[in-house]
Amino acid sequence: MSYTVVSNLDQAVEALAKSEGKARVVAGATDLFLGNLPPELVDISTVPDLLGINRDPDYLSVGAGVTHARAAASPEIRLKAEALAEACREVGSPQVRNMGTLGGNVVNAAPAADAAVALVALGAKAVLVDLNGVYREAAVEDLYANYNLSVVDSSSEILLRFLLGPTVRGEGSAFLRFAPRGALSLPLVNAAARVRLKGNTIEAVRAVIAPVSPAPTRLSETEKLLLGSKPAQDTWRRVEYTAAAEVDVRGSMLRCSAEYRHHLIGVLARRMIRKALERALESKEGGDGR
Amino acid sequence: MKEQVIAFELNGEKVETYTDPALSLLHLLRSRFNLLGTKEGCGRGECGACTVLVDGRAVNSCLVPAGKVRGRKVYTIEGVTAEGLLRGAKVHPLQEAFVESGAVQCGFCTPGMVMSTYALLNDNPSPSPEEVREAISGNLCRCSGYKQIEEAVLEAAQRLKAQDWQDRNSGKT
Repeated sequence: MSYTVVSNLDQAVEALAKSEGKARVVAGATDLFLGNLPPELVDISTVPDLLGINRDPDYLSVGAGVTHARAAASPEIRLKAEALAEACREVGSPQVRNMGTLGGNVVNAAPAADAAVALVALGAKAVLVDLNGVYREAAVEDLYANYNLSVVDSSSEILLRFLLGPTVRGEGSAFLRFAPRGALSLPLVNAAARVRLKGNTIEAVRAVIAPVSPAPTRLSETEKLLLGSKPAQDTWRRVEYTAAAEVDVRGSMLRCSAEYRHHLIGVLARRMIRKALERALESKEGGDGR
Repeated sequence: MKEQVIAFELNGEKVETYTDPALSLLHLLRSRFNLLGTKEGCGRGECGACTVLVDGRAVNSCLVPAGKVRGRKVYTIEGVTAEGLLRGAKVHPLQEAFVESGAVQCGFCTPGMVMSTYALLNDNPSPSPEEVREAISGNLCRCSGYKQIEEAVLEAAQRLKAQDWQDRNSGKT
């Protein structure tokens, strides 16, 4: 096997082009030894273009090479994309978070990858470049071809960064997961939401749950129920019921029975949306400039 | 398998080895450098027994391809012990605190526990009990002596502060 650590994007593109499809891009490499080793690897984890966390007026740009540890500690992400910071705190273990990257979390295409669930809830777009230097943007949820299989062909395309609209005043986001243990544990269900309030009315909502299909999945019925509504006492039972009813889940030896998963989906949907709403309210009332 | 020259810094010394870049850092340390303090537990990033520092951060060495450490600083349990020896002690105050607090039972998880908490104390010399628990959340102890480990780290933090311990060659960047 050959292993090339490249120091800039041109080198990465060149190395991939030279290998004629044999080489694959790798970043944190935390899942590398868990599958079959490709014959050639191009390590992009130190490419500066992939390491930025930058804010312009419209977007928060988070490099695909940013580690989970860095994202979880980033003041910008904690303030403007709270669900992502929370999700990154939950990935694997401190050791894994120190190596694993956000780009890898998405391109590895595990169906319940914490950061990916938060990115979809936040409405993040991925920016990719191919070997001809052609850039494209895609919604994160559109990058999944099947279970553990990404649309991104890592022998000929590089995920550069994620663009997400920072939460503004009146908006909030939240991430939750349920797992058998507090650390180093696969989630049975993970969930993230982003909501925007106008007055007391929900003006926008994205509610995402996993693993119920190859990609983090939006709860569209639950979103419809909430959109334009003023959350009241009876809302929460309906959210729980609708969320649990609208997804088709299987039981699995790896996680839990279908019945239990349905129950968890309802409960987590309620909790994450409430939490996101609380934050949306706080941001309206607080004078912190959010 | 195509072998490559990989130069990096190991416990403060520049080293060079000719190896398969797909070999894990864990096996590189144990088989090429005979540094047997780093343990192999699960071999798949779930137990933390193989924890070492790369550029000052705790990582599972079983998951790190050797090719990745080129030009970087790797720090192992032997480096921590050497810091103690350089100061005229038998071991580092953190290791001492583990022994004295009864935080070592079978001992297999201990090097990994020490490395994870060594990284913690470098970043945060006065951790709370919660922060200690967070720092060792990627390290399994099957003797289940977590409480004593937590106490050992808190005790070590006190001692390090009292001794004004400097990390001179900790690989921290």
